[in-house]
Amino acid sequence: MQTSRFMRCPTRHRSVSLLVAVGIALASGGCASVAQRAADRFASNLGRAVLNQDDPGTVRDGLPAYLLLLDGLIEGDPGNAALLRAAAGMYGSYAGSFVAEPARAGILAQRARDYARRATCIDQVALCAVLDRPFDRFAAAVQASEDVAALYGLSGAWATWIQTHSEDFAAIADIPKVEALLQRVVVLVPDHDRGMPWVYLGVLGSLRPEAVGGRPEQGRAAFERAIELSQGRNLMAKTLFARHYARLVFDRDLHDRLLKEVLATDPKAPGFTLSNVLAQQQAQELLGTSPDYF
Amino acid sequence: MRLASILLALLFVLTASATAQTTLKVASLAPDGSLWMKEMRAAGEAVAQGSEGRVTIKFYPGGVMGNDATVLRKIRLGQLQGGAFTGSELSLVYKNAQIYSLPFLFANYDQVDAVRRQVDPLLLAGFEQSGFRVVGISGVGFAYLMGSREVSNREQLKQAKVWVPQNDRIAELTFRAGGVEPIPLPLGDVFTSLQTGLVDTVGNTAAGAIALQWHTKVSHLFDLPLTYVVGYVAIDNKRFATLSDADQALVSKAFGEAAARIDAGNRKADADARAVLRAQGVVFATPSAAEATYWKGIGTQITQTLVDDQSLDAGLLQQVQAALASTPGAGTP
Repeated sequence: MQTSRFMRCPTRHRSVSLLVAVGIALASGGCASVAQRAADRFASNLGRAVLNQDDPGTVRDGLPAYLLLLDGLIEGDPGNAALLRAAAGMYGSYAGSFVAEPARAGILAQRARDYARRATCIDQVALCAVLDRPFDRFAAAVQASEDVAALYGLSGAWATWIQTHSEDFAAIADIPKVEALLQRVVVLVPDHDRGMPWVYLGVLGSLRPEAVGGRPEQGRAAFERAIELSQGRNLMAKTLFARHYARLVFDRDLHDRLLKEVLATDPKAPGFTLSNVLAQQQAQELLGTSPDYF
Repeated sequence: MRLASILLALLFVLTASATAQTTLKVASLAPDGSLWMKEMRAAGEAVAQGSEGRVTIKFYPGGVMGNDATVLRKIRLGQLQGGAFTGSELSLVYKNAQIYSLPFLFANYDQVDAVRRQVDPLLLAGFEQSGFRVVGISGVGFAYLMGSREVSNREQLKQAKVWVPQNDRIAELTFRAGGVEPIPLPLGDVFTSLQTGLVDTVGNTAAGAIALQWHTKVSHLFDLPLTYVVGYVAIDNKRFATLSDADQALVSKAFGEAAARIDAGNRKADADARAVLRAQGVVFATPSAAEATYWKGIGTQITQTLVDDQSLDAGLLQQVQAALASTPGAGTP
């Protein structure tokens, strides 16, 4: 699944420059609240800046330094759940979208999942207690939670970890748990993150063919919801719709139409630019292999 | 002059057929991205490269061409040339296809290996006489009974709602012989039926149960191999025969190697998946000696029934039993 997303924060605070934020964070060792706010803001600003970048190469080359910086901020403030979630989102997105070597991607995704689990154990104690328990107990705890940021943050990092450990049955066995988290997110806030949770659900719904008990039509409905909620600006939703659903059900017309739409659309859209550029790159590849696949 | 033009035309036809491109359309229930499809696609690429484009394999994964019975019909109609099948479905064209999957036949992989060394070549010959060139045989793994209730003995099993695959006569006979009235359902309905409680006990490999998400409804596993699940990659002999000898060898080699990789991968997956189920709290119940003997006896009884009604070849069965007898621990369940 290439569904990783950079964490998006709804903060309305005036942006401060990265260096100032980091400087405040590093210089204010004795003032936890100032450092914490600065660190939180740094993480969210960084996330937003990355999302709006239209050159994936810059992000690929530049982000590792900031990942280390986030690690440092967490070292100084290990109980900051928001910071942990921001780092989980960054690490997960970097691992899922920019690291070609499977072993490295796996290591980085593992860190993303660890951060997300640590955050969960800070402010979602009941859920923390059942993370590794059987599905029914986990699902019950998910149903009892109303913290969308916590549920969504955990689902994204976990999904990327599964993606980078796709040969590992422990990871495959966790897919229903990620699905339960996302289902809860869209029940609580159907348009959260402008529909991105629906993209994840679309991918998960399109993993298994109907012949073996999958429900691809639910996957299709989820992708369509994501496209609708982003008003067509989320091109990754269309690319993954083609890659996962259209290929699963062998619908070449839909596959090629979606990908051509992706390629014909201006990728620049607030909050979607980076993933749209990546979506166009993937769409080009998928269209190129379409005659062989279908 | 007329003779010369006929010869020229004939020469043209012969040249064209020698260099013609052949596409073999092969269907599978396995989803794209699964081990099966990854390895089959790798075999397809090896064939395309090795034949310099003379032979290409076009895959239809994820059951898009229908279930195994539909795929077989499409092969007869010439719409497809091959598929990856389970033994029970391929027994429609060659009755002995299911011989490895007889109930409680194998207790461990040592026995499987000993038998397959001897019997795989005999099966390949049998398939060929039945119109199919089998280019790969791969073990999927051992299926176990598992579900939301404990089923570690026959009395508990009688209380359970046991799923069997639709049209799987051997499975139905086996459970009926054990006093259980099974519930036949298509594979695609099992997950929902586990959720609704229509069935509470199913047979599958550990890896299969996780891949199909059945494990979310499994808390108990009866640790006695119910059956050894096998998959065959079979190609219509008529179309296969149109390939040159070199290209036939190429296809057989590529898919044979892929099958060996799938076999090894599935064996590892089986072990890994069992460990994951345990880690997730699934209780593994080891059968008592008496219970294992009882079910082994049921297996022997069903096997005899199949021989008696000519659903299984007695000669081939003897070969299986002879190979089994040579393994350590033979005769013990």
